[in-house]
Amino acid sequence: MKHPLLKLEPLIWLLFGQGILLGTVLLTGWLLVMGLALPLGFVSPDALAYNRAHRLASHLVGRLVLLALIALPLWKGAHHLRHFFIDFGGARRDALVAPLLYLIAALGSALAVIAVARI
Amino acid sequence: MSVAQRKKRFVITRFDPDRDEAPRKQSYEIPVRDDWKVLDALNFIKDEVDATLSHRWSCRMAVCGSCGMMVNGEPRLTCKDALSEYGETVEVAPLANFPVVRDLVVEAEGFMEKLKRVKPWIIRAKQRAVEAGPLRQSPAELEEFKQFSMCINCMLCYAACPVIANEPDFLGPAAIALGHRYSLDSRDEGAAERNEIFRGEGTVFECSFANECSEVCPKHVDPAAAVNQAKFNAVIDWAKRLVLPRGASD
Amino acid sequence: MSRDAHPQAMAPSRPGRTRTAPPQLPDRFPFGGRYLRYTLFDLTGIVYLLLGLLVLCAAWSLGSGEADWNRVLASYRSAPYVAFHAISLVAVIFVGVRFFAFFPKAQPPRIGPAKPPPKPVILALLYALWIGVTCALAAVLAGGVLR
Repeated sequence: MKHPLLKLEPLIWLLFGQGILLGTVLLTGWLLVMGLALPLGFVSPDALAYNRAHRLASHLVGRLVLLALIALPLWKGAHHLRHFFIDFGGARRDALVAPLLYLIAALGSALAVIAVARI
Repeated sequence: MSVAQRKKRFVITRFDPDRDEAPRKQSYEIPVRDDWKVLDALNFIKDEVDATLSHRWSCRMAVCGSCGMMVNGEPRLTCKDALSEYGETVEVAPLANFPVVRDLVVEAEGFMEKLKRVKPWIIRAKQRAVEAGPLRQSPAELEEFKQFSMCINCMLCYAACPVIANEPDFLGPAAIALGHRYSLDSRDEGAAERNEIFRGEGTVFECSFANECSEVCPKHVDPAAAVNQAKFNAVIDWAKRLVLPRGASD
Repeated sequence: MSRDAHPQAMAPSRPGRTRTAPPQLPDRFPFGGRYLRYTLFDLTGIVYLLLGLLVLCAAWSLGSGEADWNRVLASYRSAPYVAFHAISLVAVIFVGVRFFAFFPKAQPPRIGPAKPPPKPVILALLYALWIGVTCALAAVLAGGVLR
C-alpha cells in the first residue's frame, strides 16, 4: 500500500464491500433477465421495449438501481483485480496499478451518474 | 519389547548457510511408531540418524508455538500432527513466507516486530492508582475478546497468508488479531490509537480475506474474523475523524 | 516446486547474523487446494468490472434513444454475450455464497450497546435479501410487475 492512496483506503474498502453485497444481490436479477431470459426468448421482448425500459429507468428508484448496478461492481472489480495483481507478484507495481484500476472505477462511476441523469 | 517397524520416508528441506548455496532436499527412511507425531519422527532423525538437522520445538503439546513447519505443503504444528494422518512419504519444509535461518528454522524476528507495532498491551488514558483496586471485568466482557487471546504465536497463519507472501509491510493475521484483542478488552482505552495503526503502513485493508489464516490456526483463534472486524472499526474511526473536529475524543 | 515469495517477506528490520535463504511461497499457492477458490474469487473482479461497464453502456443507450437501446438488446442475443452472461451468473453466485459465508464473522462483537444477531440469523437475512431482491428485480425487468 503506497502513501497517496493510504488515506482513501477505508472509503475504497466500503465501496468494494457494497460492491460485493449490493452489487451481487442486484446483478443476479439483472443477469437472469437481461443476460439470459430475454436474449434466449424466455421473456417477451415487449417487457423491455424502449418505452417501458425508459419509463422504469426514469423513476428515481430505477435511476438509483442503475447507478448501483454500474458503480458498485466497478469498485469491487477494481479492488479484487488489484489484489489479483499483487498475489501474482505485482506489489512493486502497485503504485501504478492501484490508481489505474481505481481511476477506471471512479470514471465509470462518474459516467454512471451522467448516464443515469440523461435518461 | 517390540516396536512397530513400519517405515516412512521423510523428505526434509535442508539449508546450511555455511555450506549450501540454496536449500536442498534430503531423504530419510526411518522406523516409525503408530502413536508418533511428526515431531517425534524429526527428533528420531536428529537423535539417531543425522545430528545436523535443526528444528525448533519445545512443549510437545501445542501451546508454545515453536514447532510450526510445512508438512506436505500445509503449515502445521508438528507436535500436534499424528504421523498416521500421512502416507508413506512425508515432506517437511520450513514455514513458507519466512526467510530461512537453517534447515527447518525460520527467522522469527520480523514477526516479533509486527507484534510490537500494534501496541499489544492495555492502554489507559490515565494511570490508575493502586488504591483504586483492580480493573474489574465481567465474564461477558471477557468473552468478547477471549477467542483472540488464544494465539500461541506459532506463525502458521503467516505461512498461509498470500498477502504476507507479497506485501512485506502487511501487519498480518496474528498481529492484527492481537491488537484487536486489546481493542476489544473492556479495560483498554487504546482502540483509537490502534485504529490509526491499522489504517497506516501495513494496513489491515491489505488483507484480501483469503481466510487461510483461520483455516490453518491450530488454536481456532479465527484471525480472519479479527482482521475483518478491525477493518470495520478502522472505517468507523476514519469516518468519525472526518466528521468530528481534531482532538475530539471517541 | 515452490516459487520465491517477495524477497522482503517477513524480513526483520535489521538483517540477522547469518545468511538466510529467501522466503518461499506456500506450495499450493495460487491454484492448489483451498487457494484455488480464493484466486477465483479475486479473478471475478474482471467479471464485475466488465459487467459494470456493460450496464453503463446499456444505461447510456437508454438515454440516447430507441435505436441505441434496441441495438444493445440485439447484441445481448449473440452467442458470445449469452456465454459471458452465463459465466457471469455463475461467478456472481460464487461470490455471493463465499462472501455471505464470511460475512457473519466479520461483524464486530458490538456496535455501541447493540450486539449483532446470531450467525444463522445473519445468514438467513442475507439470503432473504439476495433472493428477495433478485425476484423483485427479475419480475420488474421481465414485465411481471409494473407493466
